[in-house]
Amino acid sequence: MKLMHLCAAALVASLSLVTGASAQPKDWANIKIATEGAYKPWNFTDASGKLIGFEVDLAEDLCKRMKAKCEIVAQAFDGVIPALNAGKFDAIMAGMNITDKRKEAIAFTAPYGRTPSTFAVLKSNALAKLPDDGKVYSLMPDGLAAAEKSINEIKPLLKGKVIGVQTSTAQANFLEKYFKDVIDIRQYKTTEQHDLDLAAGRVDGVFASISYLKGVVEEPKNKDMTLAGPRYGGGPLGFGVAVGLRKGDPELLAKFDAAVNAAVADGTVKTLSTKWFGFDITPQH
Amino acid sequence: MADYVELMGFGPKGWGLLMAQATLMTIAVSATAFALGSALGALVAWARIEGNRPLRIAADAYVTVLRGIPDLLVIYLLYFGGSQALTALAHLVGAKGFVGVNAFAAGAIAVGIISGAYQSEVFRGAFAAIARGELEAARSVGMSRPLLFRRIIVPQALRFAIPGLGNVWQLALKESALISVVGLTEILRQAQVGAGSTRQPFEFFITAAALYLVLSTISGLGFQRAEALGMRGVRRS
Repeated sequence: MKLMHLCAAALVASLSLVTGASAQPKDWANIKIATEGAYKPWNFTDASGKLIGFEVDLAEDLCKRMKAKCEIVAQAFDGVIPALNAGKFDAIMAGMNITDKRKEAIAFTAPYGRTPSTFAVLKSNALAKLPDDGKVYSLMPDGLAAAEKSINEIKPLLKGKVIGVQTSTAQANFLEKYFKDVIDIRQYKTTEQHDLDLAAGRVDGVFASISYLKGVVEEPKNKDMTLAGPRYGGGPLGFGVAVGLRKGDPELLAKFDAAVNAAVADGTVKTLSTKWFGFDITPQH
Repeated sequence: MADYVELMGFGPKGWGLLMAQATLMTIAVSATAFALGSALGALVAWARIEGNRPLRIAADAYVTVLRGIPDLLVIYLLYFGGSQALTALAHLVGAKGFVGVNAFAAGAIAVGIISGAYQSEVFRGAFAAIARGELEAARSVGMSRPLLFRRIIVPQALRFAIPGLGNVWQLALKESALISVVGLTEILRQAQVGAGSTRQPFEFFITAAALYLVLSTISGLGFQRAEALGMRGVRRS
């Protein structure tokens, strides 16, 4: 056993030399937060390489409240949860919705944003006629009946259509659960990839967060696109966007939770989201 | 067009500097991986030609496995799995917290061991192309094995290996794009970030394609020159 310890120590020591490994103390005076850096306006990058956006501003505010020194790093979205659990960083703020599936792997704070999801289509497509009454249909138990009624209403219109969605997102789960039998779901690595295919007419529509799609259809080059269809939120579409943390860090979770609740309560989230989105994304309880 | 020049230029709104840095990163990680692959490939080729039975089996297994599984999987295993394994090891000796494999090292090692598998095949083929008579002649005049290796095998095998190595280098260059999943900012990752941040994906992906093409064209010319240099004094049959 002793020999094994010695070997392990030697191996770790030699590898840490090569890789610049670090083991942080647990007082959480320093926190490393990961974001995607390519999801405008939640988090993105400017031409100088600086990370900016709603979540970057919010992270700064949360860290001030937690009296912690924070470093924000960019990480591709599809590797972000395993990387958190492997200890590459301590928290995720990347427009990530709370879902039951993700909760199996990581812990979440209270949500700091909740935006419904809807479709974007080409104006020339028949789907542009999908009804949108501006109301948000909640998939939580109290609103589920109304939401399912709306889903059943639009199903005939969507029959046989190809809908693009970003893979491993709450939106993809939603389509799988409610529309699998009528539409052809095409999954993409990133949202701008399905936008490209929408512009090329290769998909009939895309399904994503309205906070993101609003910006897309407002781009001059996307003047042929429009939002369409009912807005859905809650349930499989996520209980809101929150900070993702490792399950093994309850102290950090408590700290972040308190900071998020305070930022929601005193209107900081409202101010920041109005600045970046043009509307308030504060989750309503 | 003017918009494109501004977008990819070096002005305050231009992404030129970031794309240039990402290009350097692609070169750095591919070159490191290729060098690592050369060392590994040479060792493995030697093990397969001269090694004893267990060594040969190990080398065969390495080449079969690494050429047989997707490259992305190797990268995931090394970056995420490697960190977890190291952390577990560190906890075994009483350390706390996490031990990380840094993104550059993980990426370069992953592409390097894949490249090594391919390069070992190139080296083995190159060795097989040496005329047996030359080896016998060298032995018959009493040349020692190290001397035989240095004077007869290396100069000829390397010469035969150049075209194959050029191929493997192009592979490494393109495989480096897979490393974007570990957060290393190389050309593809930077293009994705730029595309998502400006909502101008086409401009960024076209630029990324052009950058890869420039890199592979320049290095292709380099390998052509190396081949011409290596083959001078050899009569083409």
